[in-house]
Amino acid sequence: MVAIQVDSLTKRYGEHVAVDGISFQVEQGEAFGILGPNGAGKTTTLEMIEGLRKPDSGQVHVLGRPVWPDPRSVQSLIGVQLQSTTLFDRLTSRELLELFACFYNRSDGSERAQLVLEQVGLVGKADAYADDMSGGQQQRLAIALALVHDPDVVFLDEPTTGLDPQARRNLWDVIRAIHADAGKTVVLTTHYLEEAETLCDRVAIMDESRVIALDTPAGLIASLGAEVRISYTEGGEEQVAYAHDAQGAVLETLEAARQRGAQIEGLSVRGPSLEDVFLKLTGREFRE
Amino acid sequence: MTLSRIGATTLAQMRMMFRRRIVLFWSLVFPIILMALLGLLFGRSIDAGTITVIDASHTPASTAMVHALSTTKGVTVKTDQTDVAHARKQVQDGDRDALVVLTKTPAGATAAHLYYSNASATQAGIIRGIVSGASSRISVAATGSPPAIVYSQQSVDSSSLSYIDFLLPGILALAIMISAVIGLSTVLVTWRKQGVLRRLKLTPMPLWEFLVARVAASLTLALLQVAVLITFGALVFGVSISPTAWAAIPVALVGALCFLVMGFTVGSLVAEPETADAVTNVITNPMMFLSGTFYPVAAMPAFVQTIAKVLPLYYMTNALRDTIVRDRGLMYVMPDIGVLLAVTAVLAIVSLRTFRWE
Ligand SMILES: Nc1ncnc2c1ncn2[C@@H]1O[C@H](COP(=O)(O)OP(=O)(O)OP(=O)(O)O)[C@@H](O)[C@H]1O
Ligand SMILES: [Mg+2]
Repeated sequence: MVAIQVDSLTKRYGEHVAVDGISFQVEQGEAFGILGPNGAGKTTTLEMIEGLRKPDSGQVHVLGRPVWPDPRSVQSLIGVQLQSTTLFDRLTSRELLELFACFYNRSDGSERAQLVLEQVGLVGKADAYADDMSGGQQQRLAIALALVHDPDVVFLDEPTTGLDPQARRNLWDVIRAIHADAGKTVVLTTHYLEEAETLCDRVAIMDESRVIALDTPAGLIASLGAEVRISYTEGGEEQVAYAHDAQGAVLETLEAARQRGAQIEGLSVRGPSLEDVFLKLTGREFRE
Repeated sequence: MTLSRIGATTLAQMRMMFRRRIVLFWSLVFPIILMALLGLLFGRSIDAGTITVIDASHTPASTAMVHALSTTKGVTVKTDQTDVAHARKQVQDGDRDALVVLTKTPAGATAAHLYYSNASATQAGIIRGIVSGASSRISVAATGSPPAIVYSQQSVDSSSLSYIDFLLPGILALAIMISAVIGLSTVLVTWRKQGVLRRLKLTPMPLWEFLVARVAASLTLALLQVAVLITFGALVFGVSISPTAWAAIPVALVGALCFLVMGFTVGSLVAEPETADAVTNVITNPMMFLSGTFYPVAAMPAFVQTIAKVLPLYYMTNALRDTIVRDRGLMYVMPDIGVLLAVTAVLAIVSLRTFRWE
């Protein structure tokens, strides 16, 4: 069954088209990633689906219901972690979760609070104020708040941005559990290629307001038509080549260099990643 | 369901408010400090001290005189002496501040003779003023002649109150105003800027409910301010609280509501928390000095009096002063409450037109 149906969604800010007629579907129970550089239109897309920003044209359905013109009926079914939310100060994690459960008219607020605190691994900080917690803990709390009313679909907008690698990996486990154990549909945005690759069943790559590719991570990489990526530096410039056969390609590269009389450095051979997919599709490195 | 939700939200708002020490400081501690400081600086001079009264005439006029002196604020009357010489010695030794001897003249009138010490010129001046004032008031009442020029100062607001009595309701009104205006302006702008309101928009709770909860929490703070400041004033500063003081509760609630809506208006018009603070200061500071908080409006120049009459704090201060220390009931302050409600209504209309969530 389809969890989210997006058809020709467009949003303009004045002259600037932030989201340009994009369409995609997310299946129920799927972990769906939107990957793209800064300003690609990820947040705008997400917030149109969540009912926070009104699209200029196009349609969004969540669990079969149209989001617009009245997002209220959809909003009670979804859980959202916004890209940036400073939460109230001087309320503890537990109080905040119970308050949000109450906003959703749930009478089992304290049980739900305890449950999601366990889910995101924040039980030890249940009685701490949000402003006294670390960045990673605050992010966990924001995710817990998205889960407290037991929604069917969860939106996470850059859940790991700004975290150190260790904290990021810990949060990945949390997100995997939400998806795999709790069986929720998860839609997340990220600028980390590795994150999209490891967490998502399918990934939409967004660039300059459009979806330029959409497939499973493996499918996207396979679309390169290459098994290996060879890179080296010659005269201070990085060279990248793709090939099917690692051994032959390396020998070929070295031989060609010897014949040119060139000095190559930092030769590396590895399997291609989503980074290469982005490079191939846009002609640009993922990070400018 | 919704009622329990508003209840829970109000509780959360109270937690957010009362857990911030700075809020408690400005709303409760600072007003007390201000009252103590001003009371120390200016309040003392009102205190005339302990006066011995020896009534050797026992006429209606002398009884009236004793009564007048004992009911004067800042004066303690002792009638425990009969020997004039001994009582004079007490004044000389500084055990008592003054002695008043009431005798019958051969013509049948009552003579009041004041003995006072010159140890403190200010205090002596005050005592002379009080005693001569009281005696001429009584003789005027007795003869029915028109009031003497001395009494023209009587029109000054505070003349019958000690300064600390005058000050308490003024500072209470000021504290409620500042807490209420800031309680909604800066907070609203900060919530909007930090995206808190956007986050709440995703929940099924209507946002107005969240604001109603905030108003309820702020009104609770106002009630707490009334209770704490009046108790402190009575117990620590010796303010004599009128039996009508309960009427200060509706006055404080209406006043707080008026200033909450004023804060809401600022929060609706302004985008940055710093701007909200600045605008709040621009609004509250002039009101603080022109509404009779520290000094009676009636004693100010005429044009200031005109300005005062358009400031809501003036009406709240008046109504609180009337009910808390002037022995005037709710009916008497209804016009002030009416003005506050009218201002609230106008501001509510303005702010609801300009309000935005994002
Ligand atoms: N409220 C707004 N008003 C005007 N322009 C906006 C607004 N919000 C976003 N934009 C613009 O729309 C484009 C897409 O923004 P969006 O926030 O959707 O990008 P993003 O992919 O989420 O980027 P990031 O990775 O930095 O979060 C950007 O060029 C941004 O400047
Ligand atoms: Mg974004």
